[in-house]
Amino acid sequence: MENSNNHLDVEKKSERSETVDLNDNTLQVDISDALSEREKVKFTVHTKTTLKDFAKQDFSVVRQHEEFIWLHDRFEENESYAGYIIPPPPPRPDFDSSREKLQKLGEGEGSMTAEEFKKMKQELEAEYLATFKKTVAMHEVFLCRLANHPIFRADTNFRVFLEYEQDLSVRGKNKKEKLETFLRSFSKTTDEILLGSTQKDVDEFFDKEKSFLLDYHSLLKDATLRADKMTKAHKDVADHYIKISSCLLEMATADTNQLERFATKTADIFEKARKIENRVSTDEDLKLSDTLRYYMRDTTAAKNLLYRRLRCLADYEGANRALEKARAKNKDVHAALEVADAEWSQHQACEKFEQMSAKGKEELIDFKVRRVAAIKKNLVELCELELKHANTHSQLLKASIVALREEL
Amino acid sequence: MADDRHAPKLDDEFNDDDLFASAIEIKVEAKADISLEDDRSNGLSPIEEQSHNLSAADEIDLNSDSEYKDGVPDTKAKIELRSEPEDIFEDIPEPKEVHRETMAGRSTLETLVTSPRTQSCNAYHAGTMIEEEKVITAESDGKFITISVKDPQKIGDGISSFLTYNVVTHTNIGLFKKTEMTVSRRFSDFLGLHDKLAEKYLHKGRLVPAPPEKNVVGTTKVKMAGGQTEHEGKLPEFVERRRAALERYLIRIAIHPIFQVDPDFREFLECEDELPRASNTSALSGAGVLRLFNRMGETVTKIAFKMGESDPWFEERHQQLETLESQFRRLQASLEGLYSHRRELAFATAALGKGLALLSNGEDHAGLSRALAKMAELHDKLEGVHNDQSNADFYILHELIKDYLSLLGVVKDVFHERVKAFQTWQHAQQMLAKKREAVDRWEATGRSDKVAPAKDEVLEWEAKVNRSQEEFDVISKAIKKELELFDLQRVKDFKAAFISYLEAQMKAQDKIIEHWETYMPEAKAIA
Repeated sequence: MENSNNHLDVEKKSERSETVDLNDNTLQVDISDALSEREKVKFTVHTKTTLKDFAKQDFSVVRQHEEFIWLHDRFEENESYAGYIIPPPPPRPDFDSSREKLQKLGEGEGSMTAEEFKKMKQELEAEYLATFKKTVAMHEVFLCRLANHPIFRADTNFRVFLEYEQDLSVRGKNKKEKLETFLRSFSKTTDEILLGSTQKDVDEFFDKEKSFLLDYHSLLKDATLRADKMTKAHKDVADHYIKISSCLLEMATADTNQLERFATKTADIFEKARKIENRVSTDEDLKLSDTLRYYMRDTTAAKNLLYRRLRCLADYEGANRALEKARAKNKDVHAALEVADAEWSQHQACEKFEQMSAKGKEELIDFKVRRVAAIKKNLVELCELELKHANTHSQLLKASIVALREEL
Repeated sequence: MADDRHAPKLDDEFNDDDLFASAIEIKVEAKADISLEDDRSNGLSPIEEQSHNLSAADEIDLNSDSEYKDGVPDTKAKIELRSEPEDIFEDIPEPKEVHRETMAGRSTLETLVTSPRTQSCNAYHAGTMIEEEKVITAESDGKFITISVKDPQKIGDGISSFLTYNVVTHTNIGLFKKTEMTVSRRFSDFLGLHDKLAEKYLHKGRLVPAPPEKNVVGTTKVKMAGGQTEHEGKLPEFVERRRAALERYLIRIAIHPIFQVDPDFREFLECEDELPRASNTSALSGAGVLRLFNRMGETVTKIAFKMGESDPWFEERHQQLETLESQFRRLQASLEGLYSHRRELAFATAALGKGLALLSNGEDHAGLSRALAKMAELHDKLEGVHNDQSNADFYILHELIKDYLSLLGVVKDVFHERVKAFQTWQHAQQMLAKKREAVDRWEATGRSDKVAPAKDEVLEWEAKVNRSQEEFDVISKAIKKELELFDLQRVKDFKAAFISYLEAQMKAQDKIIEHWETYMPEAKAIA
């Protein structure tokens, strides 16, 4: 699997991409293709647009994960977007666990029958494929959110990302830069905590939001972990069905007489049941765990917004104090420059802050609406899928019991 | 050998093949048989009639077939068998073995206990290990025996405490004193029963079911539990497993036609007093140590002595059983894996439920909060379902396989007994040859005083050779029959167990459907 190139034709536009209103301002982005090569995944980002600013109306470029991160960082660092919730970046494509499992399977090949080995290999390949699809989906969602945001879609970096046909030559951060980022994030976190405890927010709305989001975020994280554990356990159960099925098959072939047909049929039943259980597990993973995980990341983004705002507020208050100090120091006229400076910076800070507050409020409210809607949608879908699978399973069992009774 | 006669071995059904040549077509039902019986004798059981015929013969040899072939009229379809087992008897060209029931006092024998194993599978299936109220019945044409093991109770305190179980029997087999009885037995009683049966039957090639294993850790835990474990709910899981295993053990004995009427077994079920402590079942007793030595010695002989197998059937069977054993072991391992993973799943589901509940508390949107709370409840219920599923995995399938693994062990033991019988026979033959040589030698040297006793010895050894040869034949035949029975039983048990397992799974899935359906409107109702 590592050496082959996996082509994944992702044509499921209807499922994942979010289309904007169809009028002159359409900007539709999706990932039409993806290639997995050794360590990297190459995404083909396909854009369809009627906006005038673009050179062409329909074009594609190839991007790698690092370039997505680059794009996200550009947004994050942009001061003018400080009042917005920046969509969380897609997680790195991670096939390590699949690779590990495949290796383990290869090592253990001797201890199981050829049938069993084949089936487990198929299972693993399906798992790999599922992870692959998921990472493509994550990247796509990220882009779509940017494309649908009225302000973000106009960003130059975004346009470059979509259009520039050659490699953006974004190299992964080398050690020094990684250390820098790490230090920066570290100082940011301490600052955040400090601010959180010392800076009093004037606006009650934001105050409440902050405490809510902090709490919510940790709860989401917790729930996501647990959901992950549950889906994994489900998968393990399904895997064991394979073993039992092959044991039964063995017994059937070796058994000289009466049990042969019975055991074969039973082995078959276990096989089918396994497929269903697997499907249940994947669906649970997709609808429940992933939703929780996504919103966990989104809440982080929201928290970042709040942090920036708080920072801004701190700056504003700092500017205020500076202004007062300047005024106090310079009661006389010829230091008016300093005062003017201070006034001007205070004015800036004030504006910035108010803008940020207004925007931020909007974003946060919007965030809540989005969140509720998305969770609702996924819960409903999860419910439907679970019912569908449980029904199939139950019918399978009914039919098989009838068939087996004939053998009695 | 006296024991044989006490033990009513009504295993006529094993060998009366041509008796059934006609009966097989008839799909013998209870009514048909009873009418046959009525024709013959007024109320007297066929066996009694037979014993009248045989009353003259005191010594009933296990293998004296030909005498009775004529003595037993073939309208004596007294063996009320269902169609199934009759098939297997078609191809057993066996001489009939007739054993006389020397229960002089039992003139009120109603009917014969026959092949209860036919119904056992259905009953077995009904008597799932999970629910105690279901009982396991061994039936045959209106005659049945139902045994259940209930109410584990701790008696006493501390190191000398022990658990007792109530053994409840319902039967209308006439050999028992009453139709319903309840007695209190402890684990060592069960082991004692096994020892008695093994002593009597194992060397004859009968498969004596193996009792549940000892469990030192579990037992000590219960002993040390400080006296508050009066209620079942508090007793550790191992007690439930043991209870279920003991029940299955008794059923297996009950469905075996020979053991069913064994007086020791009956005493076990009937005797209301405490049975004499089977203290030699304890591992540290003198008998225990003796057993250990014996076992070691036997293992050595097993390895050392390679019997020249004359009968390919045994060779083949041996192979087959070896393969079966390894397959069972693999299946058991997978089942254990399945069981533990499902347990994990149940835990994880419960944990998720809690996580969701917390999340719901932290959620400020009222509708979503409600939906999340309901989902938490849902997952709690799902945990219950998963737990049930894993119980099914365990009690229905896993324990079954484990039982069969131990039964296979017994089969191996029985095979070994046959080898021992062979050895005895060979040894006797060798001794005979030596004695004959001795006679020749004495005659050659003209020591006529030594010749006479030597000749006596020769006669003695000739008799021994005959006897041991017959025993060897008997045990071989018995093993063949037992294995047929075993196979039949195995097939039935398996089919029944798997079907019951799938049914349990189906119920679980239905419950899952139910739960999700109740949840669905909640999810949709999020404003």
